[in-house]
Formats: sequence, C-alpha cells, structure tokens
Amino acid sequence: MGTLIAIVLAAVLTNNFITVKTYGICPFLGVSKKTSSAAGMGIAVTLVMVLATLVTYPIYTYVMVPLGIDFLEIIFFIFIIASLVQMLEKIIQKLSPSLYGAMGIYLPLITTNCAVLGVTELVIGDMSSIIGEAATMNVGWAVLYALFAGLGFTLVMVIMSGMREKLNYYKTAKALAGFPIAMVTACFICMAFTVFSYISI
Amino acid sequence: MTVKGFFKSNVFKCLATLLCVLLVSGVFLTLMNGLLAVSDQERLDRAINKIYGKSVAYTQVEVANYNDNATIDAAYRIKDDGNYLVKSTGKFGFENGTVTCWVVVNVKNGSIKGIDKVVIDSNKGQSYIGNINNNFLSGFYGNYENGYIFNPNDGFIKTGATKSATAICNAVNGAIDYVNGKFLGNVAVDIYADFELTEYIETKQSSHEIDESGNIVYTIKTKGHTMPAGFTIEVTVNAEGVITAYNLVENGSTSQTYINRMMPEILDGTLFVGKDFAGIQAIINEGITYPGDDKGTTISTGATQSNYLCIYAAAFATKNYDKILTDEVPDEGTDVEGGNE
Amino acid sequence: MNKYKKITLDGLIYQNPTFMLVLGTCPTLGLISSAFSAMGMGLTVVVILTLSNILISLLRKVIPNAVRIPCYIVIIATLVTFARMFLEKFVPDLYDSLGGFLALIVVNCIILGRAEAFANKHTVPEAAVDGIMQGLGFTLALTLMGVICEFFGKGSIFGFEIMQFKISMLAKPAGAFLVYGLSIAVFTYVIDCIERAKRVKANKLARENLLKEVA
Repeated sequence: MGTLIAIVLAAVLTNNFITVKTYGICPFLGVSKKTSSAAGMGIAVTLVMVLATLVTYPIYTYVMVPLGIDFLEIIFFIFIIASLVQMLEKIIQKLSPSLYGAMGIYLPLITTNCAVLGVTELVIGDMSSIIGEAATMNVGWAVLYALFAGLGFTLVMVIMSGMREKLNYYKTAKALAGFPIAMVTACFICMAFTVFSYISI
Repeated sequence: MTVKGFFKSNVFKCLATLLCVLLVSGVFLTLMNGLLAVSDQERLDRAINKIYGKSVAYTQVEVANYNDNATIDAAYRIKDDGNYLVKSTGKFGFENGTVTCWVVVNVKNGSIKGIDKVVIDSNKGQSYIGNINNNFLSGFYGNYENGYIFNPNDGFIKTGATKSATAICNAVNGAIDYVNGKFLGNVAVDIYADFELTEYIETKQSSHEIDESGNIVYTIKTKGHTMPAGFTIEVTVNAEGVITAYNLVENGSTSQTYINRMMPEILDGTLFVGKDFAGIQAIINEGITYPGDDKGTTISTGATQSNYLCIYAAAFATKNYDKILTDEVPDEGTDVEGGNE
Repeated sequence: MNKYKKITLDGLIYQNPTFMLVLGTCPTLGLISSAFSAMGMGLTVVVILTLSNILISLLRKVIPNAVRIPCYIVIIATLVTFARMFLEKFVPDLYDSLGGFLALIVVNCIILGRAEAFANKHTVPEAAVDGIMQGLGFTLALTLMGVICEFFGKGSIFGFEIMQFKISMLAKPAGAFLVYGLSIAVFTYVIDCIERAKRVKANKLARENLLKEVA
C-alpha cells in the first residue's frame, strides 16, 4: 500500500513527467492550443505508455537480460513502440471510427515522443530513481507507474491548454508570440508544481 | 505471385534491407559491447579513484560495527598509504533518514591521524542535503586528536540542514570507531555502559571528573530528539546526589524561536539546583519517560523535546552519582575519554 | 562553396534547431541547468547527427522508400547505443550527468528530422556539413542557455563557483522554461531586426541606383 501511494504521488505530482523530468515537451508545446486536443493527446500518450511498458518490461527482464543482450534495449524498445503505435492505429480505426477520428491524428506523433521511450527506460532502472527509495520493481508496479505518469502528463497538458486558450484573448508582444509565451506559461505551471516537492512519501 | 516474382518484388527488397540494417547494427553493437563493457570492478575503481583524485590500489576488508549510530557498508584498505576508505551510513538524519558517506580515514603508525576526505554517496529522505556544501565537509578534514568524536555543534559552519549534518557526523564517527576497533584495536571504552538512564545520553562523548571538594562535574552530551540536536551540559553533583550547579554549554536547538520557548528556569539551570533524583523526577509527573507534547506537564512549553533532554541530563547525573563515587575512589579525577573540547 | 556557406548559416542561425525550429526541447529543458551537461549533450548530438547524416546519405539510394523511417530509426538507435557505451567507458562524468536523456537522443526530433528533410536528398559531404552545423547550432544554443541558467541558478559556470548569490528556481525546470522561452524571443527579435535593416539597406540601394539611372 505504501509503495502504491508513493508511486502514484511520484508519478502524478512530485516527479511529474513534464514539470520535473521534462519528458514529452514536443506535444506539450505543440498540441496544447486547445483543451480537447490536449486531452486527446494526453489519453493517447497514456495508452501507449501503458501498453509499451506492458510489453517492454517483461521482454527486457525475462528475455533480454538472461540472454545478455540488454545493451540492445534502445533498438528493441523503439521498435516495439513504433509497431505498437502502428497496430493501435489500425485497431482503433477498425473498431471505433469515431474514436479514431478523435485520437487517430495524435497516434503517429507518439512514436517519437520521448515520454514513451522515457517511461520504458525508467522502469528498467532501479526503483529508487522513481520513488526515491529502494523497493523491488515488477511488472505490476512498472505498468502502474506508466499509467500514472501518463495521467500526470495529461493533467499538465490540460492545465497548459486551458491557460493558452485564455492567453488567446490577450495581445502579446510580437517577439513573445508563439513558443516564447507558451514556455513562460509552462514556467509558471512548473513553479506551481514545486509545491508538491514538499510532499515527503 | 511466383516465388521468383516475390524475390524481385518491392516487398522483398524492403524486408531484406530492413533485416540487413538490423543485422549489421546488431553485430556492430555486440562487438562494441564486448569492447566497451564496463565491469562492476571498473565501476568500483572509478568510484574510489574519484574520491581519491588519483588511481590507487586497494583491497577490500571485512566490515564490522563498533558504533550504534552508523552502519559500515563497505571498507577498503588503500595499499599505497595504508589509509582506509570506509563507506558508512549515518543514522538519525532529517525525519530519521540516513546519509551514506565515503570517508577516507588517514592512518599512520598504527593510529588514526585524521580524516582526509568525506564524500556524500547517497541519502534517504534528506530534503535539505543540497545545503551541505564542501565547506561543511572540509570541517572534518585535518588532524585527529585521539578520542575526538565529531559533533555537529562543534564549530562546523551552519548549513541549514542540521539533521542531515548530524547523520553525516554519525557516519564519520562510525567510520572512525570502525577503523579504531577493527584494525587498530582501540575499542572506545564506554564508561557509562552499566549506568542507568542512558537512552538519551551520548555515553561515549560524555565525561566527568571529581573536583577537590568531592563534587562530580559532568560534561554531558545528550542525543538529539526529533527536532533538537544534542545538548552539551555541565552538571555538578555533590556527594549527597544534589545538583549544585547546572550550566547549559551548547544548546542543541538550532532555532531561536524554540530556544525562547524553553523554560527559562532550564536555560539558567535554577530549576535543577538543589534537587536530587527524586526532585528531578517530580518535574515530569510520570517519572523520567518522555511525556509527549500534549500531556500538559510544566515542561510542555512549545519546546518540550528540548526541555526534556535537559531534564534527562540532570536525571542521568543525579541517578548515577553514587556509582561514580564507589567506582572512582581509588584513582580520583580520571578522565577516561580524554578532553572532548 | 556558396552551398556550404548556406548550410552553415542555416544550421547556426536561420534554421537553428533550438531557437528557430524549436526541436529537441526535452534534453534542452532537462539539461540546461548545468553548462557542462548542456554542452556535453550538444557535442554528443553533433557526433550522432553527423554520423547518421553521413550513413543515411550513403544509403539513400539503397533503402526503399517504404521502409526508410524504420531504417533511419535503427541506424540512429545504433549510434545512440554506441555513444552510450562509449561515454560510459571513457567519459563517465558526462554519462552520469546526462542520465536518461542520453537514451532519449533516439527520439530527438533534430536527428530524425535532418535525416528526413536533408540527408536523404543530398550528397555525403553536404549531409556531413549539415550534420556538423546543425549540431553546433544546437550545442551553441544549449551552452549559452546552460551558462545563463547555471550562473544565476547555482552561482557557478561550468562547475566553478563564482558567487554565493543564486536564484535556485533558474536551475530547475521552471527556470529552464523561462530562460528558453526568453532566449527564443530575443534570438528571433535580433534576427528580425537584422533582416529588416538588411532589407531597408537593399531598398535604399535599389532606389539610389534607380535614381542614378533616371538621372
């Protein structure tokens, strides 16, 4: 139970992917102009993160490490993620065209999203890098961490998009328009999230 | 599609290229992995060389524990200069966390000459460890006077991470005690081992002497409680077990706010003067056990833990005075531990 | 020669991957809290980008169009894995300070982007120069911001302590976002001004020539 709470808090708040680890910034800046698209992207990323971890973690632990080919992890992981994204796209297209309409355009972007590769690389490291204390990692924790890291990502995406929608009502200096003002906004979100670093697990 | 057609088709070409690229990559990386793999031994060498600043030869030595405030994780004897490199985990840091340090103990002619280096390896739950800088750690370096035990109150620069500093001191002390006890045969004698009420007393760092009029003058170092670090207190007890002088040398509470909240009678010692053990016991209604913050006793002033440590020191002094008097009749005024200050 | 000059200027200024195209943001934001790791990341990317550009340019006629992206990814991933092994063996300090971002170079948009947009359409020397220049543009931008963040956030530059005063926020992601955003603004503003000045000068010259002709 303690580990569960620690993982959830670390993944969503104290070690948030965007505000603390700065993973997955491209979609964070690129797809956060509207709340609906930000939420769609966040959910799609979460889905891929969970599925990717579900596949890569067992493969790494039970196949690659015993065979001594763990140094090939980057190639394997990126390939697994790319194929998963492709498959997911086809499946969603077949099963639910409406969902595909909402999410489909984000899926191809996810392959090169560092949040996904980042989470698969993080969970094969030691647990202390995730929640700050030693505990045994297993598939369950890994997938749980991926799920909540994805939800934390979505949370910040949605906050950011809300702020950027409001920003549209104001005129910004020409040099600041676009990326610079988005990054200054992100700076404020990060500062707000430092509050959570006072949570000690 | 015929077999021949398949081999000429674009699909085959794509598959073949992809497989070739994968194969070449795999072979290349396997070769490189063989060439460039970093072994565990190399990692250890690296860690040790980084601490020493040069490459040294070393042998691993057996660990043992000679100090309750620290755990020795690993230890190495450096062949070049006979020094010991000890990986020691100090307890009682911030929120009861720990700090693990690498400590270089300088050994010359069979005795410890000093601490050459302290490097923080890792920590558990020390949110303010970032405040510990090299200026603080260099406070450990230098010559070691026999019997000296580091205490975070002893002239270290203030860091804003007092509890983490305590854990680091514990780690360094642990390393010293370990090298002393394991390799140099100088196990620190705990003269207060069979004394009562030692739970909050740093027995190895406290001392006493008997002055010409037969009074026992203690220099008591208390352990820290949850908030305050250890106090240093000089208590004089006469031959009847009554406190005649009580002098707060070093306040373990690092915050002026809490010092102000302590009972003024404790700060100037008037609460204790003229009392024997029973009198001290009466200050806390239920004996000498820690009353908790909400018991409504007189010591619950908003700095209960500090008050309690001070009372505890007085209780320790009065409870054990007769042991000292019976023990030390043959050679009076010995100072077994050596000067602490 | 003019061709290479254009590639160089594009890489360093007009298509600077960090300030103009805003690519490779994750390692940028994650590592500019320290000038050393920012520069180390930049130089690693220079090497990987140059090698991947050369390899992809070499293979551009061999790789079928349909599987080019997977092939590029495998090539890049191989180079990154190699870089990781190399750094762990020979530059362990840098390896430690880059942390997870080293593996994430694989999905760094700059490298795949240059492969797709430049290397598979140009000759090997051009691709090599492009790789070096884009990489250097990235490195310069990262080092510059790394120095700013480290100076104000930790009071030091490249690890050498300079002053006690520090604003810790600037050494955290929040500060990285702020410095990055403001750097983009200043950079684009300066480039804009220079371009405008150039245009004004050109217009003036053209008018004078015209007047001369009329006269």
